[in-house]
Amino acid sequence: MMRPIGKLSYAVLCATGLFLAATGLGTFAAGKAPMTHWVLMAHVAVAPLFALGLAAVALTWSGLCRGGVDSPLGGPAKAMLWVVLLAGLVVTLSGVVPMTPLFGTKGQHILYLTHRYGAMVLTAAVLLHLPLLARRKGNGQGASSS
Amino acid sequence: MSFWLARHARLALVAALAFWLGLAPVRVRAEDVHTESRTPFLHHIPLHDTQGRLISPPPVVSEDGKPQEPKANPYSPAQTCGKCHDYDTISQGWHFNSDAGAVPPGRPGEPWILTDPATRTQIPLSYRGWAGTFKPSDLGLSDFEFATNFSRHFPGGGPGEPDKIKSTDPQMGRMNVTGKLEIDCLICHQNNDGYNHEARFNALRGQDFRWAPTIAAGLGVFASAKSAGSIADSWRPGRPVPSTLPGIKYDRARFDTEDNVQFQVARRPSVNTCYYCHTSDSETSDARWHGDLDVHLKAGLLCVDCHRNGLDHAIVRGYEGETRDRVISDAMIALRMGLIRRDDPALREDDARPLARRQLQSEAGLVETLTCRGCHTEGRLGSPRPVHKGLPPIHLQKLSCTACHSGPFPQAEPQIVHTSMAHKLGLPGPARGKNTAPVILEPVFLRGADGKIAPFKMVWPSYWARLNGANLTPMLPGEAAKIVTLPQPSSDEAALDPYNTKPLTDRQIQQALASFPSETSKGEAVFVAAGKIYRVEQGALRAAESPAAKPYAWALAHDVRPASQALGARGCADCHASDSPVYFATVTARGPVQITNGVSKTAWELRGDDKAAASFFAFTFHFRPLLKCLVFAAALVVLGVLVHYGLRGLGAITAPAAGGGGRGKERP
Repeated sequence: MMRPIGKLSYAVLCATGLFLAATGLGTFAAGKAPMTHWVLMAHVAVAPLFALGLAAVALTWSGLCRGGVDSPLGGPAKAMLWVVLLAGLVVTLSGVVPMTPLFGTKGQHILYLTHRYGAMVLTAAVLLHLPLLARRKGNGQGASSS
Repeated sequence: MSFWLARHARLALVAALAFWLGLAPVRVRAEDVHTESRTPFLHHIPLHDTQGRLISPPPVVSEDGKPQEPKANPYSPAQTCGKCHDYDTISQGWHFNSDAGAVPPGRPGEPWILTDPATRTQIPLSYRGWAGTFKPSDLGLSDFEFATNFSRHFPGGGPGEPDKIKSTDPQMGRMNVTGKLEIDCLICHQNNDGYNHEARFNALRGQDFRWAPTIAAGLGVFASAKSAGSIADSWRPGRPVPSTLPGIKYDRARFDTEDNVQFQVARRPSVNTCYYCHTSDSETSDARWHGDLDVHLKAGLLCVDCHRNGLDHAIVRGYEGETRDRVISDAMIALRMGLIRRDDPALREDDARPLARRQLQSEAGLVETLTCRGCHTEGRLGSPRPVHKGLPPIHLQKLSCTACHSGPFPQAEPQIVHTSMAHKLGLPGPARGKNTAPVILEPVFLRGADGKIAPFKMVWPSYWARLNGANLTPMLPGEAAKIVTLPQPSSDEAALDPYNTKPLTDRQIQQALASFPSETSKGEAVFVAAGKIYRVEQGALRAAESPAAKPYAWALAHDVRPASQALGARGCADCHASDSPVYFATVTARGPVQITNGVSKTAWELRGDDKAAASFFAFTFHFRPLLKCLVFAAALVVLGVLVHYGLRGLGAITAPAAGGGGRGKERP
């Protein structure tokens, strides 16, 4: 069975990820991008939790998602987790790198767009991963740790 | 025979005339003659007076052997320069068109400030109707009085040069004697630093409007000690203009034998020329050497490299969105039509007009390339492209370029700035101090019409007025001086404080308000100063903040600091700190009252920002390093996992292939 730390980190990832999507992509969808004021502060305040959650999921779930390993997760769920991790990494880095003096306006803009569209992919991946997990559990094959 | 000869003589005469006409150079009007070279044309030209008559000083000795003074009428820039440069077109330029009703006012700029230390009056004026300023006519100030007050830094034209003068008007009628204040082209275009602003100022003080250009250009001196103003004083409106108006005693050495005068004229005025009217210095008095001046000037540019104009003198002001505020005048269209039809004579006037307008509209778009953003994006004049490393792009949407790059580096309180137009800089006078009226502060970070935060200069109006219901009617200094009793400095005090900067006490304000005659029909006597309206209620002085007393602010753009001295060059905390001037600078209204009586607000308050958000956002920057460390560490872990399993997966795929076998089971 999946250890509690794994479940917790996945829960943190999902909760913070959805919050970040609501604030970030929500503002974009509302046509008010970029975020400012309290929304921006809330977004930035929650972002480290998301990053920690992502790292914890990477550490606790990656073993289950290796190809060829006997795992309660199905192929699509495994693949989707790697997509989550990859998109999460892109989103995390494109969020934090602009805070460093490495890129100028053009680079910053590209990072900003990368962050936005990476977040869309990540959100879609998380939203797809959740039902895949639930389906496995529904089939009586709950996730277990390796 | 004689008939035959006479006939052939006539034919020969006609043939000779036709031949001569064919070969003779076509006579071209002066305004149609151009050199069209980048080499400045040597202006060796005759002078003309306001009537268009050639100015020719009499010979040294008259025909009967008597010595003669080189007296003549003053020269007229309109008649002299206007011979070749279309004066009507030029007179629609930005410096001269403020009273032309059809001109869009554009972004609010520096007003004229009617300042009178004796009555503690400082009223921002503008013909352009910028919100927060008064139009001179609203105060009962005639164009003549405006010219008298501000011609020291006013180049002429516009209100100084009305189309018609009503002789019976006691104010404007004086212009029949003093002359009109024509545009003095040499103020900007004389390039030998020989233009004498002080002499012009002294001439204008005597209301010698017609004479001032000649005196300032150093072409001669007054032939009489009597000023036009004093002659106008003894002249009654409606009567014939006196014939005893002073002449000019010209400097003979300036004229050649054909009465031409040589001018050193620059198409592109020097920086020092612009500085006469556009000096703006917060490092005043002996601190002037502290400043670095504008980075563009240090790089060798001239003001007119960016602030350009064509013949229409519609100078590029340089703010974003200026294109929509620019006027394409009928004169410019006519001028362009002439050029189009010269090149294509078959084109009808009806077709040439829209074509001319389209061409001019298209050229107006160039204006945007001369803004900070336009020039540095286009790379014009070799301007470096801004890199802005580490600056999230949102800053470029929320801030003007000037917010970070212009004016003095912001401090906990805005600094006092002196400007030419407000403080008569460029003219000799007692040293102006920190409290010399009008007190103007900079930089105050406000939001411009485009919603972007930008640095502004700010001044608070101060005047005595009558309040009738919601209507506030300011008094001109002359009117106030007749009513208001204020303490006047002794001669010793005046020597120490020549600008009478001692603030008024509440008691003095109350006494002054009490000295107003109680005319209820005219309204209640009030004093406006430092953001408040002072009034006497039930025997006590009350002061309250009022929209009528709110400050007038205009965007500043110079001096531009280099990138290394921009806001943010030292890090995010330049703006995102709990004491950052952009958000938390204290802006205290200044005026002729105790400084503690002025309305005091912080920058965020003036902008209507959310203080809690600004403070909390600044607070979060304490944790910014921790946030970066955590997120980078987390990203590193995720990257490690991805690389680890990625390589293992790659190994699993490639290993069997290397061993020549099928797909093997991955090792646990």
